[in-house]
Amino acid sequence: MTQNCRILNRIVEINISNVKYTDIELSGNTCFVGTNNFGKTSLQRAILFFYSANSRGLGISPSQKTFEEHYFRYENSYIVYEIATEEKNFFVIVYRHNKIVFRFVDAPYDPDFFFTQNDEAMKIKEIVANFEKRGIYISNQIDTFERYRNIIYGTETDKVLSKFHLLKGNEKYQNIPKSITNVFLSSKSSIDSRFIKDFIANSLTTENSSIKLEQVERQLRQFNEKYSDIEVYLKKETQQLIEFIDKKYDQVHMLKGSQMEMADKLGSSLRFAESQNEAIREAAKKKEEELETLATEHEALKTSIEDKQNNIREEIGYYDRTIRDAKKKLKEYKEKNIDEAVEKNAEREKLQVDLNIARREYESLTSNVASIEIKYSSLIEQLRNDKSAYVNKVNSKTSEVFNHYNELQLLQKNEYNKRDAELKDKREEALNEVSNEATHKQIEFNELKSEEKVIRNTRFYENEIKNLENELAELRAVSYKNKSERAIKQNMVSTLQREWESLEQRLKASLNNRINQTNNEIIKIKTEIKDIEEKLNVQHDAFYGFLEKNVKNWHESIGKVVNEKLLFRTDLTPELKKEAADSLYGISLNLEPVEVVSKSIEQYQFDKNERLALIRDLEESMNQFQTSNNEEKMIAADKYGKQLGELKEDVKVLSYSLELADKREKKLSEEFEDWKLRAGKEIEESLSGNRQRLNIIEEELNILNKKKNTVISEFTTQFEKLKAYNDERLSELKQRQETEISELEVEKKNQVKEFENKEEELAKEKESNFKSKGVDSKQLKNVEKRMNELLDLLKEIEQYSQIVSDYMKDKREVFDKLPDLIQKKEEFVKSNNDLGVQLEESTRKYNMKRMELNKQKRTFDEELIEFNNGINFYSNNFRDTPVYAKYSDIIERAEPKRTNYNILDLCTQLLKNDSHFNEEYGAFQRFVNEFAGKYRIDNHFNFIIRNDATQGEYERFAQNLRSFINENKIELSIAETATQIGLVTDSIATKVKELSGQKDKIQHIIQLIAEDFKKAEFEESKLIEFIKIRLEESDNKVYKLLKKIQEFREENGLVYNEGLFNTDFATGQKREISGKAVKLLEQLRNAIKEQEQEEIRLQDLFELKFNIKEGMNETGWTHKIDSIGSTGTDILVKAIIYITLLHVFIKESSHRSSKDFKVHCIIDEVGQISAHYLRELLRFAKNRNIMMINGLPNKSGLESHYKYTYQFRREENNNVRIFPSIVTEVEA
Amino acid sequence: MDMLPEDYSLPKQTHDIFAIMARGNFISSNGTRDGMNRLYDIINNPENFDRLQAYFNVIRYNIERGNNYFYFSKLSEPNSELEKKLERFERYIDIIDLLASMDNKITIGSRFRPTEIAEECNANVRLKQKLQKIPLYRSETLHNKVREICDLMSRDSYLELEDEKTESYKVLDSYTYLLDVINSIAIYEDTTGGSDDAQGLIYN
Repeated sequence: MTQNCRILNRIVEINISNVKYTDIELSGNTCFVGTNNFGKTSLQRAILFFYSANSRGLGISPSQKTFEEHYFRYENSYIVYEIATEEKNFFVIVYRHNKIVFRFVDAPYDPDFFFTQNDEAMKIKEIVANFEKRGIYISNQIDTFERYRNIIYGTETDKVLSKFHLLKGNEKYQNIPKSITNVFLSSKSSIDSRFIKDFIANSLTTENSSIKLEQVERQLRQFNEKYSDIEVYLKKETQQLIEFIDKKYDQVHMLKGSQMEMADKLGSSLRFAESQNEAIREAAKKKEEELETLATEHEALKTSIEDKQNNIREEIGYYDRTIRDAKKKLKEYKEKNIDEAVEKNAEREKLQVDLNIARREYESLTSNVASIEIKYSSLIEQLRNDKSAYVNKVNSKTSEVFNHYNELQLLQKNEYNKRDAELKDKREEALNEVSNEATHKQIEFNELKSEEKVIRNTRFYENEIKNLENELAELRAVSYKNKSERAIKQNMVSTLQREWESLEQRLKASLNNRINQTNNEIIKIKTEIKDIEEKLNVQHDAFYGFLEKNVKNWHESIGKVVNEKLLFRTDLTPELKKEAADSLYGISLNLEPVEVVSKSIEQYQFDKNERLALIRDLEESMNQFQTSNNEEKMIAADKYGKQLGELKEDVKVLSYSLELADKREKKLSEEFEDWKLRAGKEIEESLSGNRQRLNIIEEELNILNKKKNTVISEFTTQFEKLKAYNDERLSELKQRQETEISELEVEKKNQVKEFENKEEELAKEKESNFKSKGVDSKQLKNVEKRMNELLDLLKEIEQYSQIVSDYMKDKREVFDKLPDLIQKKEEFVKSNNDLGVQLEESTRKYNMKRMELNKQKRTFDEELIEFNNGINFYSNNFRDTPVYAKYSDIIERAEPKRTNYNILDLCTQLLKNDSHFNEEYGAFQRFVNEFAGKYRIDNHFNFIIRNDATQGEYERFAQNLRSFINENKIELSIAETATQIGLVTDSIATKVKELSGQKDKIQHIIQLIAEDFKKAEFEESKLIEFIKIRLEESDNKVYKLLKKIQEFREENGLVYNEGLFNTDFATGQKREISGKAVKLLEQLRNAIKEQEQEEIRLQDLFELKFNIKEGMNETGWTHKIDSIGSTGTDILVKAIIYITLLHVFIKESSHRSSKDFKVHCIIDEVGQISAHYLRELLRFAKNRNIMMINGLPNKSGLESHYKYTYQFRREENNNVRIFPSIVTEVEA
Repeated sequence: MDMLPEDYSLPKQTHDIFAIMARGNFISSNGTRDGMNRLYDIINNPENFDRLQAYFNVIRYNIERGNNYFYFSKLSEPNSELEKKLERFERYIDIIDLLASMDNKITIGSRFRPTEIAEECNANVRLKQKLQKIPLYRSETLHNKVREICDLMSRDSYLELEDEKTESYKVLDSYTYLLDVINSIAIYEDTTGGSDDAQGLIYN
């Protein structure tokens, strides 16, 4: 059947869901009757799908099967929509080929197309082949819903397909399916203006045109967090903390360095002590041995000297005794008048001779004078004999004496020579000894002298000094290098900084220029817009409006000649005068070739939109420019900041190492000086020791020389004394010889004379006797007396002879040798004394040497004790401390080296320093904790430190903080945050603008709806007197703030991010603006949090209010229409509103030329509406070219108002059968 | 006569500030919950400070300034109140002793979790004893004990529960106050009284 308009004529379901086949006509109001769950809604959805062609927007809940799965279960499931047109019906086949696809067939529906003779639905291939066979056009498969809709709503460009349209839609045709869908989906909800709002808004907008608050909130949160991080960072207290951290970090670092250095020294000292221990022990032992040898030698010498002394003492004792005995004997002889006895004894010979003479005289006197002659002759002869005997005797005695003395002299000479030789030997020996000693000393002296020279040339601690010198030289070289490097880097820093600054300046200037330029352009365009807006605003009352209303095609006539300004003047009071029509003040002009200069309202609107777009473009490009400017800034910050940071860090490191090097140089210099001083001291000490010894030796040499001289002089004296003694002895002996000889000569002479006298006397006596011949008695008596006297004398002498002989023997043997003995004793005493001196001297030397050796040994011992004490302290009091554990690596790896410090001191210092270090480190950690604690735990600077962080982590934190400062990352962060605030506000502004741009459309629609309500012919039934609708400002807090931000953005443009955190006075204004922006954003964030709304949609931009009067009830302006009357009334009003909405949207969205079409309004439950109202409603719809499709739970008579009524029945196999109910349409 | 905030041109957060500090709590600069750092900044602003001080003085409260924190003191506070305060600090002696003995020192800004402290106490007999002897807590496990301590300290605004999920606490600036007070409490043993356990407090 053909109609005179286009309409969805029929829907056919083949194997759809649990409907095997149904063919439902829809060309009028249609009603489905059936209890729940029989498939009414499914069918309605299938109808809706014809309009919406969107399998997802059909109100199928996510828990249910999808449209595709529920409807198209089989290969041969088809929905067929037949569309009636002015000429010939056509239909669309919908089936599933993986996804849902469409085919248009240029023929009315015929079941034969789809079924075999066995009433089996064919597969699509067969169906298509069938059509081709029959020569019926069937389109290619339409794969997309979009294309299908384009065809149905008449916007398809393919001419073959373009004829298959239901209506000709304009660019807004999407609103039609949307509206139909919305009515269907919301038919069950109560009537709330919010729903209407949603309806209108949903119809106008796409899914993406809302402002997603979650996204905004996220952006705001990110911004806010960054902002507060930066705020915390810029606080004075935080900056102070940063300074503290920096300082403490340096301190801690330095302390650690010095501890490490000390640990290295400790290690070196320990290794050195360990390696030197044995050597020192050896040296000490050697010294001890030397001491022992020295003592033994000294003891031996001492014993030998003492032995010698003992021998000498014995000798002295012997001589002493001998001399004492001799002197005692001499005294005894003297006491016995030995001299007199000797003298008397000497006269013995003479007395003997006298006695002999006397005896012979006596004999002669007594022999009777006989032979006087003989007598006298024999007497004389005797006398002569006696005389010669006497002379001989005296002579022999003389020679005896002479010989004796000569012998004595010889003996003396021999003795002298012997003693002289002995003395000489002794002298030689003594001199030799002294000379030897002197030579020895001289050698020692010379050795010391050369040693002094060696000492002077020796460089003590040469290794240490050389090492230090090398180290110093190296250090200085490195320092020099570092200094120059630092200077270069500092130079680079300032160059880079200048470059960076100039680049920033340039970027800033270019941004400012661009901003100014853009703002100027925008201002210019805005002025133009304002002009246009003014024109548009006044056009109603101006000449233009007049022309629009009253003159057809005025653009072609007046429009070509009139001044534009004139067109918008309101004071012209134009009037229509018939006579002057088509002429200019009565003059007719051929305006054919003249161009139209006036513009239509649309053109103005277009101009305005164009300019608005221009502004948008400008802003967008400005935004881009700013973003790229910021990016450039960031790149520069990144590039320069990183470089600068690195360089600054390098400079800092270099400065620090220079500082350290300085300190080290100072320390090394001190050490160097110390070593030099020590070396000097050592030289001085060695030299002074040397000199002392030299002086001693010199003195000793002097003493030796003196001693030599003394010895020589002593010996000379001794020689002299010996010689004098010898001479004295010799002269004495000679004298005594001469005296004794002369005495003997005198005695001999006297005796000889006596003999001669006696001879003479005898001769005289003989003569006298010869003369007297007789004997004289007197004479005899004289001779006898004389003989007796002589005998007495001789007897007396004889008495002393033994003692004299003893004396003479003693004298010869002892007394004469006494001086010799004394001399010898003296010599021995002297030797003894000499030996004493020698012993004393050697003891002194021994003691000195011993002392020196002891001193050396003590030095070794002390060193050893120091080492051992150090090692003991180290192992007992240091090794188990945590300090050792901390530096064990360094200590254990150190090279053995002598240092200026002892182990004990080093250990103590390390322990002491460590506690200091711990204190400092504690402070450092406290600062870091406090600093990090000021930030949020997930701050964007990543300033975070765990509570159980290691020292390394704390140090890394400080390093990172340092590079953060050096690289000026805060600026980067500020720039980023500033950009972010710009982007956030900008995106908000854009979105708000975009959204609120649609408000005009809503205004327009509402206006149309209001007009449509007015046109409604409610008067007929008087049921509903009026339905009024109006728009009001939104009271959505979030939207209001969004709007505020957008206005703020419009007002202040893009510049305010410059002032963020800027404390510069010159840009203070900007800071204020920024502050305001930050505040606004903060408010927005809070409002979003409070409101808990997911998005701001078009419907949040306005409030919709109704005022409905039904009978006597007027609702007043209200959001909700729930108290108009009965449920039926509510449904009615709702339906009316929907239909109105649908009508308005269809009208708005379809081409003006396309008028002959009808669409369906699907409202499911209308069961409670009264028949009267239903009739009213259907009529209301019909007047607007809308057919109703409704659902009823059961037959109640209402179905009689519909053209088609279908009933639903569930069959035994669970299939649903839909069949037409036989009713008659009462009124449609 | 009642003065209203407006009369002093006070900041609009005055009520929030009062609500916190009148409870005897602190406002620390490093606190982030409920915008505490913002409140700190507001009080710290010299202009605001004078106004707030004048305003609160009317109701016999005085704002006291510590190192990065503020709190109220009461003008002419009765002795009984003071004693109560001291008692409150008394129980902190052992807590501070424990926290100060940790390997990882708890200082201003430190972040920690009760589990960390409980673990350390579990591993160290000395700390364990210290924790066990802290009175007032009936929790059985070490962890729960530490949690109670943290909870108490959070309530007294020395700590802040920064992350409920990880149960991470942050030490606030007001912790200094606690340390200062504890350090100025001298403990003496009453030898004349006969009882060895008698302990007294002197507040310097």
